[in-house]
Amino acid sequence: MIDNIIHAAVVMTTPVLLAALGGLVNRVAGLVNIGLDSMMLAGALVGLIVAAGAGSWSVALVAAALAGAVFGLLMSLTVTRLDANEIIVGLGFNIAVAGLVRFFLKTVYGSSGTLNLPDVARLPRFDIPVIQDMPVLGALLSGHDPLTWAAWLLVPLTAWVLKRTRLGLRLRAAGAAPQAARALGLSPLTLRDASTVFAGLMAGLAGAYLSIGVVGIFNEGITAGRGFIALAAFYFGRNRPWLTAACALLFGFFDALQIRLQGRGVPAELVQTLPYVMVIVVLTVMALAVRRSRTKGT
Amino acid sequence: MSDHAASAAPPTRFPWANLAEILTPLLLALAAAGVVLAVAGHNPFEVYWLLAVESFGGTRRIAATLAASTPLILTGLATAVAFRAGAFNVGVEGCVFVGGLAAAWVGFSFTGLPAVALVPLALAAAVVVGAFWMLVPGLLKARLDVDEVVTTLMLNFIAISLTAYLVNGPLLAPGSANSATPMVAEAARLPKLMPPSTLNAGFLIAIALLVLYWWWSNRTALGFETRIAGTNPRFATASGIDVPSLIIRMMLLSGAIGGVAGGIHALGTVGRFVSGFSPGYGFTGIAVALLGRGSAIGILLAALLFGALTTSGATIQLFSDVPIEIVNILQGMVMIFAVARFGWIFARRRRA
Repeated sequence: MIDNIIHAAVVMTTPVLLAALGGLVNRVAGLVNIGLDSMMLAGALVGLIVAAGAGSWSVALVAAALAGAVFGLLMSLTVTRLDANEIIVGLGFNIAVAGLVRFFLKTVYGSSGTLNLPDVARLPRFDIPVIQDMPVLGALLSGHDPLTWAAWLLVPLTAWVLKRTRLGLRLRAAGAAPQAARALGLSPLTLRDASTVFAGLMAGLAGAYLSIGVVGIFNEGITAGRGFIALAAFYFGRNRPWLTAACALLFGFFDALQIRLQGRGVPAELVQTLPYVMVIVVLTVMALAVRRSRTKGT
Repeated sequence: MSDHAASAAPPTRFPWANLAEILTPLLLALAAAGVVLAVAGHNPFEVYWLLAVESFGGTRRIAATLAASTPLILTGLATAVAFRAGAFNVGVEGCVFVGGLAAAWVGFSFTGLPAVALVPLALAAAVVVGAFWMLVPGLLKARLDVDEVVTTLMLNFIAISLTAYLVNGPLLAPGSANSATPMVAEAARLPKLMPPSTLNAGFLIAIALLVLYWWWSNRTALGFETRIAGTNPRFATASGIDVPSLIIRMMLLSGAIGGVAGGIHALGTVGRFVSGFSPGYGFTGIAVALLGRGSAIGILLAALLFGALTTSGATIQLFSDVPIEIVNILQGMVMIFAVARFGWIFARRRRA
């Protein structure tokens, strides 16, 4: 039972973590990405179709990442070059892409909302000898797919790139001090575009993880708002990769718990609200702390 | 954030003056969706003509369009009120959910009351609950400067899950398997204006509120102060306007109108509260407020447009093989293009 929950929690964390890391980099560079959910949906659909057509999960992942990246680029260009409000454009993308996906499913496959293809190349799972038989540790480390490993390896990598490299400094400058960045000869808008493309790429992978990693079919509700949970994770994690990952893990655990608790008297709907409630609470606490330090200073 | 919100609500001039400004995003969205249609093997012009005929060709079709526009007028209005004060409220969807449930609850609980008491009571419940739903983000924005976009967005998901919990448990209709409350009393139903169409008295309420909004924003001191607070909060503060309190009041008003939208949808159209109550009325309301540029007549026209798309989209799916989702694609594109600025393209061309 506990092993099951731990394993499911790790599985449910991966898509949120992937999208949250993308959104985090995006926000550091100055763009709050509300459209992550739409890029996830596009990645999930493209990933499944390519996994069935090409019969290779790695090709499917590349295609899903590309699909997410294309939508990320379109969204970014609308925001940075047409001076559009990022929130509205993000919401607009979520509505338009969801419509586009269903339109495509009906037109090409004649199905409404669900796509079940034969011979889908699923993500492989790695069992680690010895560890897989240990309690807790086995569920935590063994039996996971390459995307889960990649997601967790990307946490220290993202932290390092943002903190220690020239690229990271430039991304942070594009977000925190775009005028200073421009004065130094950088192009904050281009950096912002690059970060949105990265966010789209990560969200596309997160979507493919859901379709070819977890369920094996595509459904129009497959993301179940995980793009917004990812948003909650990097808001809650205050743009710090490790803290964001911890939040993603917490939300993944809620997700796994809620699936377990269904039909056991604990209302799953109320558990689902927890990530969102936590974001409001943390924003309030942070604002209170800021005010307290300000009043102390004067 | 607030300067964008303000730009979405410029002072209401004579509507034709910024007609081009309103038509540009619409035409671009039609063009982009037209490409999608053409790729899928449909003739976009035929589809659009069919959509127009299906939404305005005949009394019955017009009644259906007006009925579909009713919630959108209200959610557009709710969004515009907050935008005008410089608060970027994207949480009207949540207010529709909690307001709808509150009105439905009154409607099926106090069945002994006559219609003259029950309908106002149910709508009042929707107003109070809707306003209450925006209290926390309003206070946080005004007093602690917490980003209202994030809090209101999160509250949408909380509202949807919370109401789903209530209609699956405590408020589930006895003997019902699907997540829905009992039907409201006959006395709580809003009278139908043109049976058999679902067009009901809620449409008249929406129009009345729209007229009030016009009067408020153009003819009252509070409307003027709100506009100043939205466009230039520092100037407003310097002129002695209490901007934080104004923001709280406008957020409450926005939530109240959003609650009314839900209440009218519950009492007028659905007759109860079901899970998945709103197909995104609150989000479409953002598109309506933006496309209408915050003016009363603009909101009406934009709501009619989206209402027409919804009702005709459902029928053309029956007559042709064009999926109804073309409506969602159009709606999303309008949102995207409504906030995009194309001025620089022309500016650059002029320079060259």
